Amino acid sequence: MSLLSLDKATIQFGGLIAVNQVSFSLDKGDIFGLIGPNGAGKTTCFNLITGIYEPTGGSVTFDGKVIAKAGKSAGPESIAKMGICRTFQNIRLYGSLSAIENVMVGGFLRHRTGLFSALFDLKRAADETVELREAGMKLLQAVGLDDVADVRSRDLPYGSQRRLEIARAMATQPKLLLLDEPAAGMNPQEKMDLMEVVRSIRDQFGMTVLLIEHDMRFVMGLCEKIFVLDHGEEIAFGLPEEVRANPKVIAAYLGEAH
Amino acid sequence: MDSVALRRLGFRLLWIALGVAFAFLVQWVALSSGQFNSNGQRLFFLAGLYVTLAVSLNLINGITGQFSMGHAAFYQVGAYTTGVLAAKFYSDGAGLASKYPLPWLIGMMFAGGLVAALAGFIVGLPSLRLKGDYLAIVTLGFGEIIRIIVQNQKSLGGSYGMDVKPKIDFIWLSTLLAIATIAISRNLLKNVHGLAFLAVREDEVASSAMGVRVTRIKIAAFLLGSALAGAAGALLAHHETFISKDTFPMDLSFIIVTMVVLGGTGSITGSTLAAITLYLIPERMRDLKDVPVSYAALGVIMLIVTVAFVRRTMEKDFSKLRTVKLVAPWFVSIVVVAVGGAALKNVGPLSKVIDGQQLRFVIFALTLITLMLLRPQGIFAHHEFSLQWLKKVLARFTKRSGEVAS
Ligand SMILES: Nc1ncnc2c1ncn2[C@@H]1O[C@H](COP(=O)(O)OP(=O)(O)OP(=O)(O)O)[C@@H](O)[C@H]1O
Ligand SMILES: [Mg+2]
Repeated sequence: MSLLSLDKATIQFGGLIAVNQVSFSLDKGDIFGLIGPNGAGKTTCFNLITGIYEPTGGSVTFDGKVIAKAGKSAGPESIAKMGICRTFQNIRLYGSLSAIENVMVGGFLRHRTGLFSALFDLKRAADETVELREAGMKLLQAVGLDDVADVRSRDLPYGSQRRLEIARAMATQPKLLLLDEPAAGMNPQEKMDLMEVVRSIRDQFGMTVLLIEHDMRFVMGLCEKIFVLDHGEEIAFGLPEEVRANPKVIAAYLGEAH
Repeated sequence: MDSVALRRLGFRLLWIALGVAFAFLVQWVALSSGQFNSNGQRLFFLAGLYVTLAVSLNLINGITGQFSMGHAAFYQVGAYTTGVLAAKFYSDGAGLASKYPLPWLIGMMFAGGLVAALAGFIVGLPSLRLKGDYLAIVTLGFGEIIRIIVQNQKSLGGSYGMDVKPKIDFIWLSTLLAIATIAISRNLLKNVHGLAFLAVREDEVASSAMGVRVTRIKIAAFLLGSALAGAAGALLAHHETFISKDTFPMDLSFIIVTMVVLGGTGSITGSTLAAITLYLIPERMRDLKDVPVSYAALGVIMLIVTVAFVRRTMEKDFSKLRTVKLVAPWFVSIVVVAVGGAALKNVGPLSKVIDGQQLRFVIFALTLITLMLLRPQGIFAHHEFSLQWLKKVLARFTKRSGEVAS
């Protein structure tokens, strides 16, 4: 059963068609790779799926519901609540909040108590805060950041910030996790560790993962299926070996090198 | 009820009792110190209102990050709401307000808060689309519009103003309102809900992608902040017994913003302390007498020199003498100004005098500039006063003097 499917999804910025009639679908439990040269439209796809942009054509269906169609989107807040969460290519953590606080904001979406009980510090608000903190600590542990829980996120090293973003997204308890270049700026060892983290996220939490990444070894080693975009259009789709051998893909990447 | 819940309740009651006790202590101090001088009592009363205004604006500006410059309008709306209601129900000492002053006043705080919240909602609407400077300008405009409309309503006394009878004067209630405002902000930040407010300040796009309902949170911040300012306005109205356009000058909004920024945007402690100091500095200097030019001129020169020196030290000097170099120049300057001023007092043009009332504002402005130059992040930056924080600061100090500073 497909969890997410794009049907001829299109996004046009003025004269530029950043995503052109793209269709693909993800099955539950997949680790799915989205690759393509710079400017291919990968991040724009993420912005489309998470409701930051509206499609100018086509539609997006998640979990049996249409979340976006031409000129209309359920919007990021509802889409997050339905179970899609993401990380950002240019890290967007809450810089002056600590690591654990960042993760707690992720969990806030599933909170039940209202503003009133927070303003008067009622027991149920306090209990929930403790609950979210504990759940957040578990997630920090899962990405190996529990020892820096109280450090301001702005002061963390780059690799840790990337992992913190993953933990924050996981705190929303998504069914589908979108990772935008999670390994960018990491050294080989950190990349290996990250691969383990992503795998265990899928295995332990039963999440479906869609990731964008430029490092081919990372993508080929981790993803079960790969979708290749170039200039907003699909040029290949399939298993890693198939995609790697596809002449169009080779041409797109070689073309970029010039 | 289990023992944990009971303990919680016990602590809660203890804190409330402490708050009320503190409020009455302030009133007692005010009444006993200002016995011969009602202006002295007014100082205590207004200090409570200014703290309320600054801390409630901090909810909007500091915690939620929506740069709002129209806060005085909410204060005014609260006051005028009270004025209208008081006029309706007051009949020469026989009305509700004179029979039950305390319940009446508390009722007015709610009424003033409610109507102010409505104004807050309107002023807050632009924040859904605008950010930063643009939002500041628009909120300033909205605030001014509300202010001018209110001041020109015939039914609200027009440019003459309106009487608010009777005089109800509970200093403790103003202190208590300030404490309640602080407590509410504190509670918010203690719970995960407050983190969502901070998240909106830090990054709206990321927040909405995390499912935080950004619109709701912004509106909530405006409603809450303006309601508290409106309640302060209600207290003011019955205390002053007369409100007019001069009660709410245009620069009031700026002063409140200054308090928040200077205290350290987002810090409740900072807003509180900055509100008290910034309110008291000009008030305390009201009795400033004429000052010879020699003192004023030397004062300005020494201030510039000291600020330049201290800034240099802060940026470049990390030697053992750093602390000395940061503190000593101030004392040196004071001595220089005192001695030099006295020596030059009779020299030609330096012997002229400046009116203390004019100097008051210059000193105020210089204080602001100095603070902004030396500590742009605000006195408390993003910190809050707590025992933990105190321990951390002390630990840092002892470490610094122990080893060579790094
Ligand atoms: N908001 C926008 N307005 C106009 N053009 C945009 C906007 N966002 C993206 N684009 C354009 O759309 C195209 C696709 O951009 P996108 O960020 O999706 O690429 P990408 O595949 O993520 O590339 P990279 O690997 O460099 O991150 C680019 O040409 C970009 O300039
Ligand atoms: Mg991108």
